[in-house]
Amino acid sequence: MNFWQDFLFKLVGGVTVTLKLLSITIPVSIILGIFIGVLRVYGGKIGVLIANFYVFIFRGFPLLVTMMIMFFGLADLGIMLEPFWAAATAIILCSSAYQSEYVKTAILSIEEGQSLAAKALGMSSFQEIVYIILPQAVRIALPGITNEILYMILYSSLAYVIGVSEIFSVAMTMNSIWFRPGEIFGTIALIYLLMTSVASFAFRKIEDKLRIPGFERIR
Amino acid sequence: MTNIQSLLKYLPFIFEGSLWSLGLVAAGLGLGFTIGIFMSLGEVYGPSYVRKLIEFYTWFFRGTPLLVQLFLFHWSIFPALGLRTSPLETSILVLGMRSGAYQSQIFRGSIKSIEEGQMLAAKALGMTTWQSAFHIILPQALRKAIPQLSNEYSIILKDSAICFILGVMEIMTRTRYVTIATGIAFIPYLIAGCLYILLTYLGAKIFDTIHARVKMQGLISG
Amino acid sequence: MKVENLRKRFGDEEVLKGISFDVMRGEVKAIMGPSGAGKSTLLKCIDLLVKPDEGRIWLEGVELTDPTVDVNKQRRKIGFVFQEFNLFHHLTAIENVMIGLRKVKKLPKDKARELAEKALLRVHIDESLWNKYPAQLSGGQKQRVAIARALAMEPSIMLYDEPTSALDPQLTGEVLQVIKELADSGMTSIIVTHEVGFALEVADELMIMVGGRIIERGRPAEVVYSPESESTKAFFRKVLRVEGTTR
Repeated sequence: MNFWQDFLFKLVGGVTVTLKLLSITIPVSIILGIFIGVLRVYGGKIGVLIANFYVFIFRGFPLLVTMMIMFFGLADLGIMLEPFWAAATAIILCSSAYQSEYVKTAILSIEEGQSLAAKALGMSSFQEIVYIILPQAVRIALPGITNEILYMILYSSLAYVIGVSEIFSVAMTMNSIWFRPGEIFGTIALIYLLMTSVASFAFRKIEDKLRIPGFERIR
Repeated sequence: MTNIQSLLKYLPFIFEGSLWSLGLVAAGLGLGFTIGIFMSLGEVYGPSYVRKLIEFYTWFFRGTPLLVQLFLFHWSIFPALGLRTSPLETSILVLGMRSGAYQSQIFRGSIKSIEEGQMLAAKALGMTTWQSAFHIILPQALRKAIPQLSNEYSIILKDSAICFILGVMEIMTRTRYVTIATGIAFIPYLIAGCLYILLTYLGAKIFDTIHARVKMQGLISG
Repeated sequence: MKVENLRKRFGDEEVLKGISFDVMRGEVKAIMGPSGAGKSTLLKCIDLLVKPDEGRIWLEGVELTDPTVDVNKQRRKIGFVFQEFNLFHHLTAIENVMIGLRKVKKLPKDKARELAEKALLRVHIDESLWNKYPAQLSGGQKQRVAIARALAMEPSIMLYDEPTSALDPQLTGEVLQVIKELADSGMTSIIVTHEVGFALEVADELMIMVGGRIIERGRPAEVVYSPESESTKAFFRKVLRVEGTTR
């Protein structure tokens, strides 16, 4: 088998694993991020405390450290996670912490009047948050959230460190066999560039679709 | 029990890594700062081919993972240029180039946020574009950018952990050695994490102090 | 509605110093007074958007201030129109009117739409504006949509908190016209306003609030033209000077 055949073959596997990883981490971290963002504003004394502590830890620890803890650290305590799930959990914990920051800021930027009007109609707090506040907050937080998604695409490469067979691990394996770093890492770089460019393009389209006339003007 | 004792013995070893980590970060920030300023000026005031080059540079460094960049430069690009860099040198250069891409966007934003009137007044005094940019716009833009630089510091600090992959003796590398040597993983990594939080906090405080000092000199609030 | 001895402090300042009054069904009450007199706070307390420190409020026999009462349910019976409109930015005009019907009253989509359309037509908002977003509407249109939104819930009483204060003078008339029509058709209303002419024409009783207290109340013509208290006289002197003349 020649170099490129080997490389491309392995890459298919690697890309599949990366995409699997992303397909789990992206949706879950967004939902968790929104939930925690809401908790940090509406959670009452205890909710706010817990949520803020969560964010403090998972924004403060480098993603790498969290990954090591999820895989090696938990193993110490008797919890054996498969590399894939350890990596997914670490990415979700870290990214949701950052996203909650965007969501929290977005919620706080919505003027009180929206909340008052919702209450005046007889909405409960839950209804107010779900039907009035969040639709606006998520639109405001969208640039931040999509930015986080781009980070998740790139930092998925760290999963290599705990043994997940994603794209970067393919590069390392190939390099240890063939030692052609220029072609190998160059190609890998191009793959990531392709993924982030496609994602950015998709985000612009989504932002356009969700746009509400005059919404930005009010901010 | 002996495991915990040996862990305690190794703690100073881990903490020493802070010096290396901070060194990496400071050098990376510094390099990124220099690159960022020139690139941002080029992007705002330069001709379109310069802007295209900068766009490409930014696209590359923001669109590829740090891990890939480290290996690509260390094993392929630098050797091709005839540079035999040590892991530390590569790390600093890559972190710096990467940060430069991000910082150029930060400065570009803050330069653009300075009102046009400043530039007009400078030119009316007879300054060239370059002079006005350097002496009038930039000082104000930099002051405005301090909070975002604080954020950039925090990001580079966490990214510096990834440089363990090249073997730089910073916090992460040392923590890994300790986990292998003592057989415990949870506590050492927890300690490392807290160490990073501590260093982030200290750095943020320094930036806050700088921000406050610089604000007091009666300039436009940043 | 019956309001009894409403008191509210914000920090050190007592903003409402024991307000009491009754409102009969179909009655229109106007409240006027200098800024900071607590008028807005009073209305918000009635709708329990702000919690009063002391005092009780009854609506159609139900005590709103009773802690065991479900506030959200009771709020449906009170329509509130804000000075800053507070239309939901992310919804079109008709969606704004429909959302209370769908989520709070749990009506099905078509029934909600039907009621929303009726309400919008009642405030003279034409079909061509129904799918516009708030940012695309003029101030007067926004406020009328806000009135429709409150109206569609079929409230027992409407509260208007300085409904025209945020509007350009040319747009004030169209909103006041709608409020007048609603009042004439029997909608119980409490209006906080600066528009003296409007109060004279539409209100059954005018109350003057100064410094957290009601210092005078009575038929609008009497209060405006032959006030009893000195503060009322001072207030109208200022208002008259600013407006130039009452109608």
